[in-house]
Amino acid sequence: MKYILLMSGTAAGVEGYHAWPKQDIEAHMAVLHRINKDLAESGEFVATQGLAGPKEAKVVRGEKNGVPVTDGIFPESKEFLLGYWIVDVPNAERAYAIAGRISAASVNMPIEVRQFATHEAKSR
Amino acid sequence: MKYILMMNGKKSDFEGYAGWSKEDLQANVSFMRAFSKELKDSGVFVSTEGLGWPSEAKLVKAGKNGEPITDGVFPESKEFLAGYWIIDVESQEQAYKVAARASQAPGPGGKPGNMPIEVRRVLSNASDLQG
Repeated sequence: MKYILLMSGTAAGVEGYHAWPKQDIEAHMAVLHRINKDLAESGEFVATQGLAGPKEAKVVRGEKNGVPVTDGIFPESKEFLLGYWIVDVPNAERAYAIAGRISAASVNMPIEVRQFATHEAKSR
Repeated sequence: MKYILMMNGKKSDFEGYAGWSKEDLQANVSFMRAFSKELKDSGVFVSTEGLGWPSEAKLVKAGKNGEPITDGVFPESKEFLAGYWIIDVESQEQAYKVAARASQAPGPGGKPGNMPIEVRRVLSNASDLQG
């Protein structure tokens, strides 16, 4: 079963992270890389991506004629997706265990765990 | 450049969607299929996924010994990711254009839904995370 593990944070949270000492950020990244490597070795790894910071984020709507209308203003409370991992695991508990490991590596940040829509999986 | 286009919604939005008429739901799903095909045909498609419903969502934190502690209670204002597309395009403007097209997916009564699509650049490598 495929699960996506979502790491999210506010714009203020991201700024706080960028203010970490370089060696702390490097240590954090090293643990995340280690987790990726372990997932690849156990055959559970599907994909991972980091997203560019909230400053660049835009919301787009289509106008009547299909012209994109962009807006870059978000409430302060807005939780931006920072990155995700997609894992293929036998059950939800295993997905939670991996999310727990990512959380432990990332100052106990909560990680949102979601299963993929099953009808989507079948159509692939 | 890779961009991720995200559809987000509150729990109430998901419930609203589930309450659409069968025809409206079918029109919406047909649009999504045609849209994915367009992306593939134009060579910008990377991947797309639909996520399970917010009622199944869990928040996981590590306990003292690294054990996962799960929580399924979210504030009502919480925006859940409903699904996403990743596209590889030449410019930001092209990403916005594709997002605008997704935004026009039909809503109730077949009218364009005009739903907001969040557009974010995907980092090409992990070292960008530090940037």
